[in-house]
Amino acid sequence: MILLLAVAAGLTAGLLRSWAVRQPYQTRDLNLVWLVFAAVLPQMVAFHLPHTAALIPDQVASWILVLSQLGLLIFSAVNLKRPGFWLLLSGITLNLIVITANGGWMPISTETVQVLHPEHPLSAWNLGGRPGHSKNILLFQDQIRFYLLADRFPFPDWFPWPRAFSIGDALLAAGAFILLWKPDGKSLIEIINTTEISREN
Amino acid sequence: MKRMADQFKAAVSQINRRHIQLILLVVTLSLLVLGAGAPGVGSGPGGM
Repeated sequence: MILLLAVAAGLTAGLLRSWAVRQPYQTRDLNLVWLVFAAVLPQMVAFHLPHTAALIPDQVASWILVLSQLGLLIFSAVNLKRPGFWLLLSGITLNLIVITANGGWMPISTETVQVLHPEHPLSAWNLGGRPGHSKNILLFQDQIRFYLLADRFPFPDWFPWPRAFSIGDALLAAGAFILLWKPDGKSLIEIINTTEISREN
Repeated sequence: MKRMADQFKAAVSQINRRHIQLILLVVTLSLLVLGAGAPGVGSGPGGM
């Protein structure tokens, strides 16, 4: 859910940008949009809806996660010419690499969860398993493959939600922001130049 | 009068189309980041 903040921030920035240059907020149609819905719907069932998530075995859920990310990878690849999509594609790729290398789950280390939740002793956590119905698997740092790409960067203390993000998550947030900031793909200088030329004419 | 009505209709349909495109973009992108991202562990040992 926290990544939705990047969507909200990008949309706000994009609307302000179009207001500042007095141009309508122009979006372009994306290719294979249905693939996003098809890829994410099973994830919603397996991870986000508590009633259904409880019914799905871990092994099935991890397959759903990997296949779903593959679908999103294809979607990003076919839209690569759109603004921000190379960042989205990079983010998905990095998350998919670390998830696949760690048995179909996004690894998080015991050190990171202790930074996030110092109030819970390590014994309260399901070591080697999933915390709740999350996409994570809790491992010791030396058990994690591609630790650099894992959920290892905690948000600062002042942030209202204690979460850790991966490099892939950061790239996804940046890509979403850029796409909504300039969905037409034009730079500010380009827009200003175009506006000045049309005024002169 | 008819020309004005046509212009009005064209403007309204363009606004609607633009709004629908924007909503679709935001929904698609929200689903994309929700599906592809995996920030964890939010609410403690039993959390999402």
